[in-house]
Amino acid sequence: MGVELSPVMKAVVLAAGEGRRLWPLTENRPKPMLPVANRPLLEHVVDALVDAGVDEIVLVVGYKRERIQNHFVDHDWDVDLTYVVQDKQLGTGHALLQAEPLIGGEFIAINGDRIVESSLISRVWEEHQKTQEPVMAVANSETPSRYGVVDVEDGVITGIRERPPQELVTSSLINAGVYALDPSIFSVIRETESRGEQRLTDALMNMDLPVRPVQFSGLWLDVSFPWDLIAINGSVLEYTGAEHDSSVVIDGSAVVSETTSFGAHSVVQANATVLRGTTLGENVSVGPNVVLENSVVLSDVTIKSSATVKDCIIGANTEIGPGTVIEGGSAAVALDDAVYRDVKFGGLIGDNTTLGGNTTLRPGTILGNHVTLESGATADGHVDSNTTIK
Amino acid sequence: MCGITGYVGGEDCHQIIHEGLKNLEYRGYDSAGIAINGPTLSVEKQQGEVSNLDLTTTTNGACGIGHTRWSTHGEPTDENAHPHTDCTNTIAVVHNGIIENYDDLKTDLLDSHVFESETDTEVVPHLLEEALHTQPSLLAAMQAVTHDLDGSYAIAATHVDEDGIVVARQDSPLIIGHGEDDHYLGSDVTAFADHTRDVTYLEDGDIAHLTQDAVHIYNDGERVSRPVETIEWDADAVEKAGYDHYMLKEIHGQPRALRQALSGRVDQLSGRVDLELSLDSETLKDVQKVEVVACGTSYHAGVYAKELLETHTDLDVSVTHASEYAFTTQNPGETLVLAITQSGETADTLSALREATGAGAHSIAITNTLGSTVTREVDDTVFIRAGPEIGVAATKTFVSQVATTVLLTTHLGRVRGTLDHQTTDELLGSLRDLPGAIQQVLDEEATFRDLAREHAESEAFFYIGRRYGYPVALESALKLKEISYDHAEGFPAGELKHGPLALVTPDTPVLAILTEGAASERTLNNVKEVDSRGAPTIGLTTNPDHARFLDHAIDLPECGILEPLVANVALQLFAYHVANEKDRAIDKPRNLAKSVTVE
Repeated sequence: MGVELSPVMKAVVLAAGEGRRLWPLTENRPKPMLPVANRPLLEHVVDALVDAGVDEIVLVVGYKRERIQNHFVDHDWDVDLTYVVQDKQLGTGHALLQAEPLIGGEFIAINGDRIVESSLISRVWEEHQKTQEPVMAVANSETPSRYGVVDVEDGVITGIRERPPQELVTSSLINAGVYALDPSIFSVIRETESRGEQRLTDALMNMDLPVRPVQFSGLWLDVSFPWDLIAINGSVLEYTGAEHDSSVVIDGSAVVSETTSFGAHSVVQANATVLRGTTLGENVSVGPNVVLENSVVLSDVTIKSSATVKDCIIGANTEIGPGTVIEGGSAAVALDDAVYRDVKFGGLIGDNTTLGGNTTLRPGTILGNHVTLESGATADGHVDSNTTIK
Repeated sequence: MCGITGYVGGEDCHQIIHEGLKNLEYRGYDSAGIAINGPTLSVEKQQGEVSNLDLTTTTNGACGIGHTRWSTHGEPTDENAHPHTDCTNTIAVVHNGIIENYDDLKTDLLDSHVFESETDTEVVPHLLEEALHTQPSLLAAMQAVTHDLDGSYAIAATHVDEDGIVVARQDSPLIIGHGEDDHYLGSDVTAFADHTRDVTYLEDGDIAHLTQDAVHIYNDGERVSRPVETIEWDADAVEKAGYDHYMLKEIHGQPRALRQALSGRVDQLSGRVDLELSLDSETLKDVQKVEVVACGTSYHAGVYAKELLETHTDLDVSVTHASEYAFTTQNPGETLVLAITQSGETADTLSALREATGAGAHSIAITNTLGSTVTREVDDTVFIRAGPEIGVAATKTFVSQVATTVLLTTHLGRVRGTLDHQTTDELLGSLRDLPGAIQQVLDEEATFRDLAREHAESEAFFYIGRRYGYPVALESALKLKEISYDHAEGFPAGELKHGPLALVTPDTPVLAILTEGAASERTLNNVKEVDSRGAPTIGLTTNPDHARFLDHAIDLPECGILEPLVANVALQLFAYHVANEKDRAIDKPRNLAKSVTVE
């Protein structure tokens, strides 16, 4: 526990959005529920808030909210969790407004889909206590145009532009998605002109008081693209070390690396090899002689004998047939009308998909949900949901 | 069948008892009341839910008892609400169960006592008042009075001149919670799980005196010691977690509940199932007959179990509503009675079980509740591990009960040599696929909400299925009638033409289970029968060819012989949304309570 800085420290977590760039995983779950080291991004956020001394958390949920509510129901959280629902996703400002009835004083607002260190939250809060002005965390980024680019002059934030084109980027500082605010923000959000969506950042620029930046260079992880999930999962596992639920069964002849995380009721069968950077969700079955490396495997997946899976994300309840090869390595991936070259990305397979025996996934392939790849078939590129490939 | 709470200690007695009652409301909610002792006796009670109870005028004190009622004797009125008091207004009593000889006892008391209610319970405070003329304490009075009581009871009483609470248990659950500097009482642990997880389960015949510092337990006049157990309990599990109803939360909790039910019980390599039974293979080989006893939803799980056991073993299997059960078998040593009860306290089931075990039958219980009465009365218990279920309409416990009976069937089939490797793999494979298949149905909730909106105002609903589809038809119809109050019936599909077809009109949707394990091709003929009478037809199917015979085809993910169970989850969502459209009290349907501890 961190130092308790005020009698009751409240936080509002914005977790109502979808996160389309992580398709098809976000067809069935919101982006905050994507797992890193077997815990959803949102759980990392909640833990950081608790470590920073937060007593009460209001979760703003909307898109596929059942997934969030189900997750947090079954654990003992050292904090009061309350839900408010944003029925339509009309922007971060609109999301924050949904929490207004539960907020009587100053509070932390934070994005629910980015991993941050608790010390960042504490510093933002302390700065707010000192200045009594709105505070926003900013971080340095090599790719600022993916985020909200922040201009700072004389210790005050003078501009925030959401995902500007590369040529208009004037700063390497980006919005890290952690704020300390007071209830005056709510009326400002309401009065700020909305262009289709009510953004919190637009409202911040309309505040009477200056918005103070807290610059930060510690742990700050964002999953923008599918391959980020694999990389971040690997780095977090390096940091946490092996975590295997007590109900996991691992055959004595299997080889399991130190940096892996296995969820409840999962089974690793004879002679299987599970190498670094791999996470198994709940009730996953890894068959005999399977080789699994640097991959994120969601719940209820079955990987049959002698399959090789590398640098890959496998969606829930998917079946990988015997002898299947997902070779991994570098790929050029087309996503959102852009091509990303040299990304380490063996592929992304959606939920409830079936790969037959001896199938092949070329590096960088993205398969939708409910795809069937018949035995011996090869998949490449982008495959829509409910497709059968012969 | 009601809920009891109690508290002795230095904290806010009011608040603790009131919270405890709220947590127990699923046991009954037609009236509620509390009595606080010290320095005077202050009783507040009324018809209606716990939240209606006005406690602003009652004084606070060092100990108290509370009650939430589900009426058996006497209508839900302010007078019939517990606690009941004696003529001198010094003793307050709450009671769960039925005093069977209350009529005789009351007749004897009427000369010298004034009764204010129609309940069986009210004899107890008056009997205690009488006994106190000769007995030195409330404890001694309770010991004397319980000799005269027939029936089932959990009783808690408090006397204005004495410290603490005196309780008695016979065939109704009563649990003591040990706090740091105080003691709690509850019909189950939900009453006080927020405060302590160190508990003592009282046994039949126990009478206990709870004070702030100590608990003394007696049985048959002798001081006895009962163990203090620490329960694993997640208090958050009894909150709604952002859902509008517990029932919806529990529907969505099914994939996880199932993974827990299966965890560690299946060795995938050998196909062996380990349920940690004490009944050894030899005994299980010698069994010739299985008699399943259960009530309500558990009975439907029993019908599923019968089909499973008869298909995969050579056992002769019967399934009987526990209240209709009679043990008539000639060879009790070759009979296994299988009692299925979510709460482990269902009076009808316990009574049937006792009849069979009393005659010498072997016994296994399938239950969700650690420490429950049934677990102490059987050779073996297989827990379904579904976690607490608060919604009165059972959802996740049905699915977990069936999954558990698949494990038991596999075990019996392997032991008896009637189940080959391939079929074992298929059964266990279906089980492993079940959580993922159910998740897919949950992800399509909007489909079922739309379907429910379209049909919510129908005159009646008929559910049909064959084989494993039959218990699911029964259970799905029960779900709808429990929470929406609509007329809904489940039939074996082939029975339709032998009578119920006369009820079918264009305003009575027919919902058909058309999956694997449900003889779907034959049921499809019955769908055509109702279609030609103009009834809207809704089919739950894994076969795309069925769609052209149906007004609505609901595609389900494949899951072998457990596909009907996947259909059940879809129909749970249908029932939920029909009831929600009508704004029903989904978690507390009228006239129903969760744990039925009266016969």
